Amino acid sequence: MSADTVRFSEERLAEIAELVKRYPGPQSALMPVLYMAQEDFGYISMDAQKMIAEVLGLRLMQVREVVTFYTMFKEQPTGKYLLEVCTNAGCMLNGAYELADHMCGTLGIRMGETTPDGLFTIAEVECAGACGGAPVVQVNNIYHEKATPASMDALITQVRADGGVE
Amino acid sequence: MTQLFINDQEVDVTPGTSILEACRQNDVDVPYFCYHPELSVAANCRMCLVEVEGWGKPAASCCTPVSEGMKVKTQSETLAKDREMMMEYLLIHHPLDCPVCDQGGSCKLQDYTVEHGASKGRYSEPKRAVINYELGPFVNTCMTRCIHCTRCVRFADEVAGTGDIGVLNRSDHMTIAGIVEGALSSELSGNLPDICPVGALLDKPSHDVSRPWEMTSHSSTCIQCPNGCDISIESRGDQVMRIVPVDGSPEPWICDRGRYVYDAFRSDNRILSPMVRQDGALQSVDWSDAFDRTIDLLKDKKVGILFSSQWSVEGHVAISLMRDALFPDAKVAFDLHRRDMRPFAFEEGLAMTTSQIEAADQVVILGSDLRQRLPLLMQRLRKRGRAGKPVSRIGAMNYRTNMEIGRDALIRPRDWHGVIARAMEQVSELGKTAAGFDAWLGAVSDRHEAGKILADALISDSCALLVGEEIRSHEDAASLIHGVDLLMRACGHAEAGNDGRNLIPEGVNAQVLSAVFADARVSAGDIFAAASAGELDALILIGSDPVGDGLFPSAAKAALQKVPLVQIGSISGEMADYADVQLPAAAYSEIEGTFVNMEGRVRVATNPIKSLGQERPLWKVMMRLIQVMGAEVPVVSLDELRSAVCQHLSALSDAWCVSNQDSALIAPNRNRDAAALPKARTDSFELDVVSRYSMYREGMWARASALLTEAGELNALDDVLVHPDTLAAKGLSAGELVVKSFLGEQCFNIGVREDVTPGVLFIAKRGVAGDLSDVTAASIDGGAV
Ligand code: SF4
Ligand code: SF4
Ligand code: FES
Ligand code: FES
Repeated sequence: MSADTVRFSEERLAEIAELVKRYPGPQSALMPVLYMAQEDFGYISMDAQKMIAEVLGLRLMQVREVVTFYTMFKEQPTGKYLLEVCTNAGCMLNGAYELADHMCGTLGIRMGETTPDGLFTIAEVECAGACGGAPVVQVNNIYHEKATPASMDALITQVRADGGVE
Repeated sequence: MTQLFINDQEVDVTPGTSILEACRQNDVDVPYFCYHPELSVAANCRMCLVEVEGWGKPAASCCTPVSEGMKVKTQSETLAKDREMMMEYLLIHHPLDCPVCDQGGSCKLQDYTVEHGASKGRYSEPKRAVINYELGPFVNTCMTRCIHCTRCVRFADEVAGTGDIGVLNRSDHMTIAGIVEGALSSELSGNLPDICPVGALLDKPSHDVSRPWEMTSHSSTCIQCPNGCDISIESRGDQVMRIVPVDGSPEPWICDRGRYVYDAFRSDNRILSPMVRQDGALQSVDWSDAFDRTIDLLKDKKVGILFSSQWSVEGHVAISLMRDALFPDAKVAFDLHRRDMRPFAFEEGLAMTTSQIEAADQVVILGSDLRQRLPLLMQRLRKRGRAGKPVSRIGAMNYRTNMEIGRDALIRPRDWHGVIARAMEQVSELGKTAAGFDAWLGAVSDRHEAGKILADALISDSCALLVGEEIRSHEDAASLIHGVDLLMRACGHAEAGNDGRNLIPEGVNAQVLSAVFADARVSAGDIFAAASAGELDALILIGSDPVGDGLFPSAAKAALQKVPLVQIGSISGEMADYADVQLPAAAYSEIEGTFVNMEGRVRVATNPIKSLGQERPLWKVMMRLIQVMGAEVPVVSLDELRSAVCQHLSALSDAWCVSNQDSALIAPNRNRDAAALPKARTDSFELDVVSRYSMYREGMWARASALLTEAGELNALDDVLVHPDTLAAKGLSAGELVVKSFLGEQCFNIGVREDVTPGVLFIAKRGVAGDLSDVTAASIDGGAV
């Protein structure tokens, strides 16, 4: 995909134009626009970032800084289910590393990888902001607090059994 | 003023000043990393903590404004502890590799660790390492040493205007990175290593070569553009190792051209001993043999003298003394970029200082590629843009500026008359006029809408016009400048104190040169024409390269093939092909001398580095020449020479009294009666020719520098550029095409770019297409010959 082929649809562009009006400047609309891009394209490639910079009149670096700051934004394609294990202090003390290792074992992949069937990607994230429920695993947009090897195994087995259908 | 107490000392500062600035202004030491007086405040290193009485916790002094009666403490036991912790934190991932780091010896991290840090770290877990990234030919990265102060990020955003450095990721994964591999598209990139407080960004050309404490520093002036920055030339032994800006000078930065030109000082292109052509090749000889040959070539001959503006004022006056003593009738030329020699209503030089330009209500750039020509003035304009002040521009190309230009018009050089006429009409309607409007308007039939931009700006209270090379080198420059002068008078921008008429000169010392050589000056083109016509017996060339630079390369070649050449200079350029004799004169790093920049600021260099070879200061070479040619030597010491200078320019005498370095600015010449009226065009070529100035390629020094040449290659454009419509109108497409001009028909590789005004032939790569610089108009015709 090149910057010419990654394009928002006309409807999206109209939506963005409306959105921008709500803010003091186009830069403030960056976060929602990034979400849109992720929804439309699955992930936010470098070309998509360039396109967004153009659409909002920002510098590419301004877009890149935000994309890389938040772990919710993906620069690479991910599996259908993205398992994000928080390994920051709170979760780490509550066994996040052991949990992550266990999950990798169950999935048969290493940290950051995607299963060959394209169902799961596992990633490590910094504080998910739900330390009270440590250890936390975010599965797509759903938080699983006080996660255990058993609860995660169950989740993975369930998804596999359903064949990825939600 | 706000009054506060710093360590029980009462001090007064301007309201709104930060505590850190207040401390700095009063010589109180507070450690800091991320703060930089020229950049916005990020307050992210937390090194600048101080205590304020009554506050529960220490304050970051860089982002805390002073308040009346505030009691600040910069030293206490708690602060010592805090600073120790900050240092421990900043050093957690640091590789502690000072022995192999170039910054060692001039590193804040190192200094503060000694001053404030604990002698031993407690961290024993694994450290992270960060991947380096590519920042172009001048900046080396070692990102594991980075402390994330973001100075470089703010520099790229705010000063360079490129915004291509940023903070990626966060927390433990945070890195500083460039946007695209291999490119840092700033002409100011060499400043990055200077502002990085640690060894993360380092100077690439001098990387792993020397240590800070081995260097001797020599203060001097950069002559690579009319800005004439203060520079400190750092040498180890006789070798120049690097050039850096000087603290406390008007600009804290210098550009890449002025900084990296230093490798030309030791290039093979230098003239380091007297040379004489024997059996077709230049051979090194001793001074007396070289002078013998010079006498043969010059004694009782008719000569033309051409010199460069890059010499010191003393050098220039010595040239004039030499002319008076040996060739009183000889014509001299020093500007390779001026076609119209009629006096200009306002001569070269700025009427304003760059900080006044930054503050003016309106700034209009008239035909100049400022980013390439005056990178530091461009940087000032960017600063102005950030403060919300407008910059407009009219010119032949949408030159890249790395800032937002408010109103911008693309015009052809032949449209300038129409632009000025349109502006005159608009201001007249508002009742603003000057004697001379009618005569000027009467001579021009065209009107060009871009004149509106100019007229709108002129209505403001203060308006700085930056009149550039497209007007200065115009065939009808005197009338254009007269027209602009009338406009400025009509709108009240010509009075002392509010004079906005700035004619950007080609080089340093412009004000001095127009005063010293006012009568004897002719166009370089005239001298070449006279030589080609057999009216001259020889040419004396003192430090310029009319084949490599300027507007007369073809004429120069023709002349040099016809008459013998005596070259006096520090560097050969392409003249080694033509010279019969070369006499070495010291480079600007090797002399005591005085320079006047475009604002009229006077700078005196006093501690030169040692000559590399047999070169002598130019004034001595001139006096020696006078002596061997049998005339009476007018001055025998620098002091006598300087008194001779003062006869021309009394203003300079202040500059040489040690106590008074801040002498008055030298104002550019004004010729009130220069009332040139517009001339009608006589040729029928449909395209106007404009040549590009590249900061990496222009001038002998730059071309002799391998570093600048490398950077120039990264920035190269096609040989010749036109707007796509220009070709489309003729049914042609980009590629090898024939260009017709007064020089005949030549074939060039022509590219297209939307940035060029339709109807303009833009010579992007001099050298390849350099010969076209001689002409002002041409037409494109059909395919390859
Ligand atoms: S590279 Fe240097 S200037 Fe840039 S953030 Fe790191 S330490 Fe600061
Ligand atoms: S801006 Fe001009 S004077 Fe200053 S360093 Fe660059 S070339 Fe030299
Ligand atoms: S540490 Fe895991 S959610 Fe905060
Ligand atoms: S200098 Fe104040 S926080 Fe860095």
